[in-house]
Amino acid sequence: MMDRYSKLQLVGIYAALALFLTFILLPFVEMFMVSLRPLEHLFSTPYRFWGDDFSFEAYSRMWQTVPLLGRYILNSIYISGMVTLITMIFVVPAAYAYARLDFPFKNMSLAIFLGVNMFTGAVLLIPLYRVLRTLGLLNTYWSMIVPGVAFLIPTGIWLLRSYLEKIPRELEEAAYVDGASRLYTLRRVVLPLAVPGLIVVGVAVFIGAYAQQFLFAITFNQTREYQPLPAGIYEFIGYQDVTWNEMMAASLTGVLPVMVIFLFLQKYLVAGLTAGAVKE
Amino acid sequence: MATLELQNISKSFGQAKVLHDIDLAIRDREFVVFVGPSGCGKSTLLRIVAGLEEATQGRIVIGGKDVSRAHPLDRGISMVFQSYALYPHLSVFENIAFPLRVAKLPEAELKRKVGQAAEILQLTDKLQLKPGQLSGGQRQRVAIGRSIVREPRVFLFDEPLSNLDAALRGDMRVELAQLHRKLDATMVYVTHDQVEAMTMADRIVVLNGGRVEQFGTPMELYHHPASKFVAGFIGQPNMNLLPGIVQATDSGGVTVELAGGPTLTLPVEPRGLSAGAPVEVGLRPEDLGLGEGLQMQVRVLERLGGQSITYGAVGPLDKVCAVLPGDAPIREGETISLAINTNACHLFSADGQVSRRLAAPALVA
Repeated sequence: MMDRYSKLQLVGIYAALALFLTFILLPFVEMFMVSLRPLEHLFSTPYRFWGDDFSFEAYSRMWQTVPLLGRYILNSIYISGMVTLITMIFVVPAAYAYARLDFPFKNMSLAIFLGVNMFTGAVLLIPLYRVLRTLGLLNTYWSMIVPGVAFLIPTGIWLLRSYLEKIPRELEEAAYVDGASRLYTLRRVVLPLAVPGLIVVGVAVFIGAYAQQFLFAITFNQTREYQPLPAGIYEFIGYQDVTWNEMMAASLTGVLPVMVIFLFLQKYLVAGLTAGAVKE
Repeated sequence: MATLELQNISKSFGQAKVLHDIDLAIRDREFVVFVGPSGCGKSTLLRIVAGLEEATQGRIVIGGKDVSRAHPLDRGISMVFQSYALYPHLSVFENIAFPLRVAKLPEAELKRKVGQAAEILQLTDKLQLKPGQLSGGQRQRVAIGRSIVREPRVFLFDEPLSNLDAALRGDMRVELAQLHRKLDATMVYVTHDQVEAMTMADRIVVLNGGRVEQFGTPMELYHHPASKFVAGFIGQPNMNLLPGIVQATDSGGVTVELAGGPTLTLPVEPRGLSAGAPVEVGLRPEDLGLGEGLQMQVRVLERLGGQSITYGAVGPLDKVCAVLPGDAPIREGETISLAINTNACHLFSADGQVSRRLAAPALVA
């Protein structure tokens, strides 16, 4: 019933979608176009959007211009992967506790978690710097992993909690009556049923970690070998000139792994983000 | 196997008191049904027995031992839930084996016990399937299987048949009754369906508003309901309640003038009633027959073959029910005359209390 639209309405909907997507995707299109063209084309006036000498040369040359590029990409994946892993270790028991247990200040602490999410990392950079220096974590992978985990735990708890709440309580009561402990129930009953939810939260955390690592990398890490891709891309800015085409090529290559993950898992992601929105 | 005693159980959720001083003694190997309308506290009471809920007051004693604070496992109970509560990601075998895995039973013994349970419940060829591949009745049997492998002393059932369709419900009723005989166990069963209660129970607990209205055998409840509530709840179709005024009382009975109808002398104990008191006369539809007595205008006639159920207006009441023979020569719209067997009448005072019947049939033990 609800998805019956007239032709005119459909046209309107698609026009709005197109406009919206243009804003989001046009930068990517331009990135791609830039990456395909020789550098001198980019500085010609008048600027031309179309050239006749497109090539993938930048995609092979970028590895020479910035020799550590491959390492940066791996670093990015490594840092995001570790952030995801550690975040999940914290989020799973916390979300379960919020979904099922009763304890003092439950709702208040949940609200505080949400509040923490309103601050961007940028506001807290200086205090964080001092904390990391005291702990001796500056210029290590941990300097980028630890703050990442801290900022992503609240989102993870909120997402996973709503998913766990949908698992029927009677299943856990049945396990309790049969003598299973909370942890046993969590391991053998709740988590296997929560796998789609875990994937959703895992992907959301991974993407979040991928996006936020730039800020932490340029502030807390000076070691070249540990830099993730967004920070490493700075090396395309030379003393003389900026090799824009290679920079764009490297950026696109670096985003690719995330895009691939997202495409594979987006079915879960969409289902999970709307979980709990509708009473079933 | 064991006895189960509920002593003085009360339960409050915040300000709301949902159970009031429940005292019940359930015998060893008895099949007891808690029945009542929704919200009467029957499920809460069962959850307190199970250990899923803690009583605000009172004690639970199983097999002579106070288990009020004990874990369900130490109470020796097992429970079958309304939604079956099967683990959808585990096979039937693993579902049934779950309590044994928790108890870390050796694999060989575990296999033997699950096999036995599957045998009893005719699930042997379904053990490798997932619950999602089973029908409602089969799922119910898996849930029962999971509860019997642990060999508990008391079985608890929380409305186990309410998710099944009517035909299957009838079959499962028979299966559960047979299972009770086979396992020879103490069973407590919660339902809102009085037919389930009447057919399966050794004794029935009728709950209303968090209080026990009556605890007795099905026939006791049918022939000697302790109150108007029990009388109205037990029996299908529901008992008719005709308003009247007491004319006279003596030791042999009470004379009542029905509103807009005849005057009857009922063989019941007068129990503090005196002339002029407003009362209600309870008459089961199946105790009415064609003959001289009440005038009823037939509004609806349901011919079921074996019997005809008629609904019609009598005096000020517009929904009196009578169960007549299947071939009764009546038609909708006409006025018929119904004979009243005064020996079958129940008498309730204005506060819902019953007067003991003197001519009720002897109870079959």
